[in-house]
Formats: sequence, structure tokens, C-alpha cells
Amino acid sequence: MSIKAEAPAQFRSSADRPNALGLLREAASEVLARRRLIGYLVQADMRKKGADTLLGNIWWILDPLLQMLVYVILVSVIFDRGGPDYPLFIFSAILPWKWFQSSVMDGLTSVTGAERLIRQIQFPKLVLPVASVVAGVVNFAFGLIPLVGLMLLFYRDRISVMLLLIPAIAVVQFVFNLGMAVGVSALNVFYRDIGNVARHLLRLWFYLSPALFSLDQLEKATAGFPIIHKILVANPWATLFTAYRDVIYDARPPDWSALFVVLVGSVILVALAALLFKRVEPAFAKVL
Amino acid sequence: MTALDEREAPAPVPDMTTGSAPIAIQVRDLGVRYSLRFTRKTTLHRSFVNLLRRQPVDQFWALRDVSFKVVHGESLAVIGPNGAGKSTLLQALAGIITPSAGVVEVLGRVSSLLTLGAGFDEESTGRENIRLAGAFLGIDPGTMREVTPGIIEFADIGPFIDAPIKTYSSGMRARLGFAIATSVEPDILLLDEVLATGDQLFRAKSKARVLDLIRASKGVVLVTHDMNWVQEFCNRAILLERGRIVAEGEPNEVIEIHREHSQRAREEKEAALAKVLAEAGSGTLPPDAARGRAL
Repeated sequence: MSIKAEAPAQFRSSADRPNALGLLREAASEVLARRRLIGYLVQADMRKKGADTLLGNIWWILDPLLQMLVYVILVSVIFDRGGPDYPLFIFSAILPWKWFQSSVMDGLTSVTGAERLIRQIQFPKLVLPVASVVAGVVNFAFGLIPLVGLMLLFYRDRISVMLLLIPAIAVVQFVFNLGMAVGVSALNVFYRDIGNVARHLLRLWFYLSPALFSLDQLEKATAGFPIIHKILVANPWATLFTAYRDVIYDARPPDWSALFVVLVGSVILVALAALLFKRVEPAFAKVL
Repeated sequence: MTALDEREAPAPVPDMTTGSAPIAIQVRDLGVRYSLRFTRKTTLHRSFVNLLRRQPVDQFWALRDVSFKVVHGESLAVIGPNGAGKSTLLQALAGIITPSAGVVEVLGRVSSLLTLGAGFDEESTGRENIRLAGAFLGIDPGTMREVTPGIIEFADIGPFIDAPIKTYSSGMRARLGFAIATSVEPDILLLDEVLATGDQLFRAKSKARVLDLIRASKGVVLVTHDMNWVQEFCNRAILLERGRIVAEGEPNEVIEIHREHSQRAREEKEAALAKVLAEAGSGTLPPDAARGRAL
């Protein structure tokens, strides 16, 4: 009797583990071999999030708009900062950030949420964070709806062909999201309170990035503190926010070389995160 | 060491273990170590505190120096008291747990019926969950499509198959889980405790199905407390105690050793209990409390 299967028909499991390169190769082939499973998990994830389809999706659209409103009131009304068309300025940062935030937070619980399964069947656990990151793309896609609405209603003069470059920047961000989510998903198995820390770290990260202000403004403000200035510029979100803002708000092409640097860095991050994940994967079933 | 001596002794069921029957499972010097440094409750907070206190990390071996072979046509029972490592052994054979020492080789597609409804997605329908479970088990979509009608029929959940799982009763879930887990005949079958779910009719049906699978598979490893199953369906047995093999051989002999050992363990426990009660001054304890301890 032979059954066609996507999982290996026999295996040998021993205390010896492959080296780093072997683990990476294993990770890549597992994700490729199980793409159908990832597809089903993505579908299930989206179904869960849009449980009451209509209402669920309306909140995905309203949420970034409401958050935009909060920052507009805070920055341009209370602090009287903010430049021209500040709502669009801030929205171009909220849109990718919400995507990043949800990818990290969903990735965080992707492995621990499947504990019953992990204790009962053998499958490549890497599919869990990968599926949650892929499902997160929908979050971003829905965020584009209010963006288009805003621009058509209030900022027609800022519409340009540069908007078509958004997907290119999003690809770079996707790789970065993936690396972060895979990494934290593995750590969360061993330290269950990482979620608490992550929430605050993410908020701090947002405020230390050129989200509410432009990079120029932040550079001026931190000119007297060279260390903070260096951290600011090394922050991948400095590049990502600026790139999104270039194409959405300033109608000009992004800084491709800076984006390329972030892409290379993100690929390295994915490799390191996958390596960490594969290293600790054998312990999942014991710890969970 | 008894385990070693017995393994090298002539095989008790010669036509099954000797000769040139191909090997289905080979386990050599398997050890599984658990570290209590990380458990499901560890947090950054706790690890930091432990680091400051410099507490040594507790470890224990759930399995140690376990070696055995299962050849084609064999059906091996694993018996032993609670906490002996029986379920850990099955998890290692299923590839869920990676050995800390030694080697596990499984030459064929394994299926463990541990999987009853573990991966169900509440918002998805029964049909979608069949697909999802198939993908988790690594069964290709063509095979899965072929067996789906059989699963639906066996689970006997009628029109609910197209309703979300969250609307199912627990009996329906268990039936669907069982039907999926047994839908594809594996080369090697791992059974943890013979399943007793659902009503009487379904239990009879599922027993028949398990027997079919046992007959169809090339090798079976069965973990159970039900000695009738061991005598009826297994042609070899191993006795695990505290993570080590203490006896191996013909089912009836191993069961007999197991009975003696558990009898002795029970007597020791009763003696210990009596001692504790005597020390506590059994006269001063209300009868309820004494009974509570005895349970």
C-alpha cells in the first residue's frame, strides 16, 4: 500500500542535529512542501478575524482612521506641530505600522496557540508563524481602502503614479515582518510574558521612529545627541516610514538604495530567526 | 540489567521476531530528557529570579536506554504504571519529540490516533476541517478528496458537515476526529489507550475500525491499561517502569510481571500510607480526612 504524501514516508530521529546551514535548508524545504497547509491556515485565520464578515471588515477600515484622528488631535491641535495635510502625513505611517504591529503580535501567539496540535502530531511548526504573517497582509490591504478614500476626498492634488510603488515597499516590509514574527513566536514558547514586553517595546519603537514627525525634524531635534541620532538612522522603520511617506505624501520616488539595505537586513533577519526557530523547535512539544 | 539480558535471550515468538522480516521500527538507546528549566509556566520574570538565586536546573529522564525493534507483522504492547514514559515513547515514535540520546528509526508512514480533533478550527466547517487535518498530517489533496465521503459517512454527522465546527456537540467532534484519524491506512499504527468515545454504537464501530487498521498495518505499537487488548491483539509486549524497559517478551509473561510489580507497589503504598496515618495519630484524624488521603 502506498499513499502519496507531502510528509516524508519514513524518518530517522536522533539526538544529533544538523548544522546551521542544514537547518536553514530544512526550514526552506518545509515551508515549500507545506504551502497548501499554510494556505488553509491563512484562510482559517482570515475567517476567524472577519467572523462577522461585514462588521469585522468595517472595523479594519475604521481602525486606522480613528487612530489617525487621535494623533491629529494630539499633535496638530494640542501641540500645534504637524505640517500641511498632517492627517495624510500621519496616515502614511499608521497604515504600515498597524500591519507590522499585528504581524508581530499574531506571530507571537501563533505557536503557543497550537499547543494541543504540537503535542499530538508531527508537522513543521514553522508553518504557524509563516501563515500568520501571510494572513496579516489582508490587514494592510484593507488599510489601503481608507487611504484611497482620504486621497480622493481631500488630497486629490497629492495623487500621483508614485502610489503604484506602494507594493514594492510593502514587499520589503513583508520580509521584515516575517523575520520578526518567526523570531518572537519561538521565544514566546519559553517566555510566556514576552507579549507584555513586546507591546511596550513596539509603542516605544513607534515613537522613536519618524512616524509622527519627519526624519528631518527628528534629526534636527536629536542633533545634540550623536548616539540617539545614530540609532535613529539605523532603525529600519526610519527607512520604511520615509519610503511610504515619499510615495504617498510627497509624490516622489523612495530612496531605493536605503530600501535595498533594509531588504538585505531583513533577509538576514529571516535567516537568523528561522535558525533560532529550528534550533529550539525540538523542545516545543516538551515545553508546551 | 534485566532489559539487556532479556533482549539477548531467544525471542519468545520465533516466527515473528527472527528470520528476515523487514524492520518497521528500530529504537536504539533512546533517551528523552526533560528539563524543568522551561515549562509552560516560565516567564522572563521567573527566569530572571532563578538566575539571581542561581538555582540548579532540574532535569529528569522520561526514557532511558530504551532499545527495541518491531518487524513487519508484529504488534507490540507497551504496558507499565502511570508515569513510566509510555506516552513519551509513543510521542518519540511519532516524531513529535526528538530524542535527547539515541536513535529512532521509523520505516513507513506513521499514524498516531492521538490526533482526535486536536487541530479543529472553530470557524471552519467540518468539510474544511477535513482538508485542514489532511494537510497537517501531510496527506496529499487527491487522497484526501477520495477519503472525504468515507469520513463523512463514518462520522455520521449528516448536514452538519457544512456547518462551522463551533456548532458541533462534543460527541460529533470526537466522531469526526476519529473518522479523520482513521481515514488513511498507515504503514505503522501507534495507539495510545484504546479509544472510548461516543455512544455504544459508535464505540462498537470504532473498535471494528481500529481492528481493521491493526490488520492492515505493517506494525503496531499499542499503549494501554486494558490487558485484554494486549492478550488479544499483541504478539509481544514490553514493560516500562520509570523510563526503562524492565521486561520484554510474550504478552502473558510480561503481563504477569507487571501484575506482580504493581501488586508490590500497591502494598508499599499502603504501608507508607498506614505509616503516615499512624504518625499523624490516626485517632485524631476525622474519618473523612483519612478516606480522602486513601483515595
